Amino acid sequence: MIKQSRNKRLLMLYFGMLFGLISFSCLLSSPAWAMREGETHVITLKASNLPSGQLAYQMASHKIKSKYGRIRDVTSRYVQRPIVPGPTIIMTEGDVAEITLEHDIEGSTLPVSLHVHGVHYKIKDDGTVKAMNGIIDSAAFPGKPYTYRWEAASGTAGTWPYHDHTFGNPMLGAEDKGLYGAVIVNPSSMEVTALIDGEIVDVDLDDVKREFVLWMHETTFWGAEINHILDGQQIPLWSNPTIGARLGELIRFHVIGIGTAFHTFHLHGHRWLEHGTSSVVDTVNIGPISRQTFVVEAGEGVGPGAWHYHCHVLQHMQSGMMGKFRVLE
Amino acid sequence: MQIKIRSRSVLLCLAAFLVGCQQGGPKPKAEDIILSKPGLMPSAILEITDEPGHWFKDPIDGDSLVVIKPGQAVMLKMTAETRTEHTITSLLWPSNASGFPVDQEKPSSVSVTTAFDQPGLYVFTCKVHPYVFGAVVVDDPKTEGLDIGSEMQLVTGAKVPTTSDIAKKLLRTYFVATTPALWRDYSKPTWNVALPDIPLNLAGNTISLSALSFSAPNKAFNPAVPGIGEVWVDTQFEIIDGKTKAGSATQVDATTWSIKKKVKGVDINMNHPHNMWTDSQYKNIYQTEWFDKRLTTFDRDTGKVLSTVDVGESPSHVLTRPTDDSLYVAINAGESVVKLSAGERPSVLSAINTGPHTSPHGHYITENGKLMVTPNALASSVSVVNLDSEEVVEIPTGGVIPIAVWGNPEGTRAYVANLLGTPPALLSSMSVIDLDKKIKITDINLAEDYNPISGEVTGEAYGLLPIQTPVSPDGKYVVTANTLSASITIVDTASNKVVKSLPCEPGCHGAHFGLKKGGGYYAYVASKFANDLIIIDMDKLEIAGRVVLADRNDSTISANNGMGGQGVLPLPLAEKSRLQRTRGLLGSGKLTPEVERWLKQATTSQIGGI
Repeated sequence: MIKQSRNKRLLMLYFGMLFGLISFSCLLSSPAWAMREGETHVITLKASNLPSGQLAYQMASHKIKSKYGRIRDVTSRYVQRPIVPGPTIIMTEGDVAEITLEHDIEGSTLPVSLHVHGVHYKIKDDGTVKAMNGIIDSAAFPGKPYTYRWEAASGTAGTWPYHDHTFGNPMLGAEDKGLYGAVIVNPSSMEVTALIDGEIVDVDLDDVKREFVLWMHETTFWGAEINHILDGQQIPLWSNPTIGARLGELIRFHVIGIGTAFHTFHLHGHRWLEHGTSSVVDTVNIGPISRQTFVVEAGEGVGPGAWHYHCHVLQHMQSGMMGKFRVLE
Repeated sequence: MQIKIRSRSVLLCLAAFLVGCQQGGPKPKAEDIILSKPGLMPSAILEITDEPGHWFKDPIDGDSLVVIKPGQAVMLKMTAETRTEHTITSLLWPSNASGFPVDQEKPSSVSVTTAFDQPGLYVFTCKVHPYVFGAVVVDDPKTEGLDIGSEMQLVTGAKVPTTSDIAKKLLRTYFVATTPALWRDYSKPTWNVALPDIPLNLAGNTISLSALSFSAPNKAFNPAVPGIGEVWVDTQFEIIDGKTKAGSATQVDATTWSIKKKVKGVDINMNHPHNMWTDSQYKNIYQTEWFDKRLTTFDRDTGKVLSTVDVGESPSHVLTRPTDDSLYVAINAGESVVKLSAGERPSVLSAINTGPHTSPHGHYITENGKLMVTPNALASSVSVVNLDSEEVVEIPTGGVIPIAVWGNPEGTRAYVANLLGTPPALLSSMSVIDLDKKIKITDINLAEDYNPISGEVTGEAYGLLPIQTPVSPDGKYVVTANTLSASITIVDTASNKVVKSLPCEPGCHGAHFGLKKGGGYYAYVASKFANDLIIIDMDKLEIAGRVVLADRNDSTISANNGMGGQGVLPLPLAEKSRLQRTRGLLGSGKLTPEVERWLKQATTSQIGGI
C-alpha cells in the first residue's frame, strides 16, 4: 500500500515535471516572450522601364535564410514584372537584408540606386553617388549590380520608404518617376497597438489578414496589397485602386507620401490611432516621405459598404485622388 | 487598459486546425480572397517640361503625342523641370468621350492620370500658357488609319466635324507648334511644312497626314521708311549655350533694321522672357520670366542684368504707371498684380488681388495712370483697378481665356482679346469695355467672315485665337495678333468692325506700336513659331516689312535662332502721354544722347501737339 502510494507519488511527480517542462517550452516558444532569432533576406531587385516610360523596381528573387541555414524561397509572393510602387520588403526587428540591385533600365547608363529610410546601414549602402557620400558610388550600373546591407535593428520597427537617389539627378534620383517602394519592419513582439471595438488593444500581427500600402503621389494614390490569407502574396493595385476586405477582418494600412505635395488621408467610416499616440483620428496629414501605419477592423461599427478613401485637399480631390475601401460580408 | 486579443486568435487557429484535420477542406481560391480591384496603370506618360515645342513630352521618344488603345490610361505629369505652375486642361476631345473634359480649376504642380474610352484625338493644354500642347490619339486597332474621330468638341463647347476646316487647322497647328523643325525659319528660302505619310481616320475616311503639308516662300524685307528708335522682341524660344532655360530679348535698330544685341541672361539662367517694359528714361528694361517666378531688370544700353526679384508664379506682363514709374507685374498663375518700386533693383511693395481664379495675363494701364485693367484668363472677366485706392471691380465678359487688353488714349475704352472666343455664338472675339461705366459694351466678332466648316473666307474678318491687341496711339485702330489663323486683324474703333486682315506667321502672338519716321505709326508683330518681326504701316494698313530676328553670326545660339517672338517693346514709347513725359526730360542730362536724338525725331502729331 505504502509502495503503491509511493509509486503513485512518483508518477504524479513525473507527470508534474513533464507538464512543467512542456509549459516552460511553450513559454519559450511563444513569440511574445521569446528572444527571436533574426533571419537574413537575400534579395535581388531590378530597376527597369515600364512601357509608359515610368521607371519601376521588380522583385527578381527573395529568399529568407534562418540562422540555422534553412532557406525559404518566397519569390512567388511577388509578380514577376516591374511595378509601381515597388515590391514591399517585409522584415522583422533583428533581421538583415542583403539586397542586390540590378540595372535593367533600357537605353540608359546612368547609375540607379536604393536609398532606404529607417533601418541601419553603413555609409557604403547609402544609395547615393560618391560625390555625395564621399566613399563610393553606392549604385548599380549596367552589368554591374550593387549589393546593399540593411539591418532591421532593435528600434527600427515601422514602415519606411526606399527609393532611388542617383538616376538622372544625383541630388534627387528618380523616385518621382516610379522608383520607390516600402520596407515594413515588424516589431519583434509581433504586436502593434490598435483601436478595436472602441478600446486600445495590442493586436497580434499574425491576425492581420491584409495590408494595404498606399502611396500618395501628387494627385494619385499608388497601391499594393499584401494578402496574408495567401501567405503574404503581394498584389499590385496601381493608381487610385479599390481595396477590399471582409467585414471584421483586421486590416493594416501603410500610407506614405512621396513627391512635393502635402496631403490629408481620410478613410470614411473608420477611426484609428494616430501613429505612436492614443489619439483617435479618421484623417491624418501626409507629407513627402512621411507615413502613417495603423490597423482597423474592416467595417467596425458601420458594417459593409464601399467606403470612400481620399486626400482631403480640395484640389487633390478635384483631380481624382480617391478610391474605395470595399468591405464585404 | 490594453487587452490582449491573442487568446481569440489562438482559439481560432486551434479551431481552424481541428476543422482542417477533420474536413481536409480545399484551399481557398485566390479570386475569392483578393477582393481589391487594381486602378489604372498608365500605358503612356506626357510630362510637362519647359522645353520649347516639347511642353508635353513623352519620356520614351520625346514627342508631344502618344498613341494608346481604347480603355488605356495616360499620366499627364507635372515635373520639377518647369519652374512654375500650370493647369492640365482638355482643349479638344471626341464629343462622345466619357470623363471629359479634364480641367484643373487653377494652376498647380499636380499631375493627372486619366483613362480614354473612345477612339479619337484628345489635345491638352495649359490655360496659363495656352500653347503648351500635348496630344493623345486613342487608336482602335480594328480600324484603318490612326483614329481622329468623327466629331471633336472644343473647350468652348463648340462641336465640329473632324473633316472641317477648323479641325484641320487645329491639327496642323498642333503639329507645327510641337515640332521645332517645322517652325518658319527666314534664313531658309522656303518654309516647308512636310508632314509624314501617316494614315488618319477621319469619320471613317482615311486620309494621309501629309495632305496637310504645304510650303511657302520666305521673303524678308525692310520697310522703305525707317522707324524711330528701336524695337525689343522677346525671342522666348532661343536655346543658348551656357544656360538650361530658353529665351533672350532681341534688340532691333528701327532705322537700319539690324539686330543690335541679344540679352540672354546666361548668368541668371533667364527663363522664357515673355514681355518687357521700361521706365520714363528708357534706362532699365523690366523683363518677365513667364515660365518662372522672376522679374529681371537689365540695362537697356549695355544689356547687363541688374537684378532679379521673385514676384510670383508665371509673371506674364509688366507695365509702369506713367505718373511715377512704379511697376505692375501680372501674376499669371496667381490672382494678383504685384506692385514694385522703380529702379535698377525693384522691390515688391504690395499685391493687388484681382479676384478668385483670375490669372491675369496681359494688362493695361491708362495713359493718365489712374486705372489698370487685367484680362483674367481663368475667370472669363476683366478687373478694373483704381490705382490710387487699389479698389478692384471685376466685370464678367463671357470670353474664354481673356488674354490681353489695351485701351484708347483717353482711357475710356478697353479692348480684350478672348483667346477662345465668346461661346456659344462667337468662335473668335474681342470684348469692348466701357471703363467709365465699368460694363461690357459689345463683343466684336473677329472671324465673322470665316466659315469654320468649309474654310471659306469672304471678307476681312478672319482672326482665330487672338492674343495681343494694342490700340494705336491715335486711338483709331486695334491691331490683334491671331495665333491659329496666323493673321493680323485691324479693328476700326469707330465702327468696332474688322477693316483689315493681314497675313502673319505661325504662332502670331505679340504686338505693339512704335513711331514711324516722318509721322505715323508702325505696328510691330512677333510670332512664336517664326523668326521674323512683321512691320505694319498704320497709314496704309499694309505690311511694310519683315525683319529677321535670327543672328546667324552668334554661335552661342544653338537652336531656335530668333524664334519664340512674344513680347514687343518699341522705343520710344509711342503712347502720347508717355512720350510727352520722357520728352519732358530732354536736356536734363537724364537721357542718353541716343534717346534724346530719337525724341527729337518725333513729329508734332506723334507727340500730341506739344
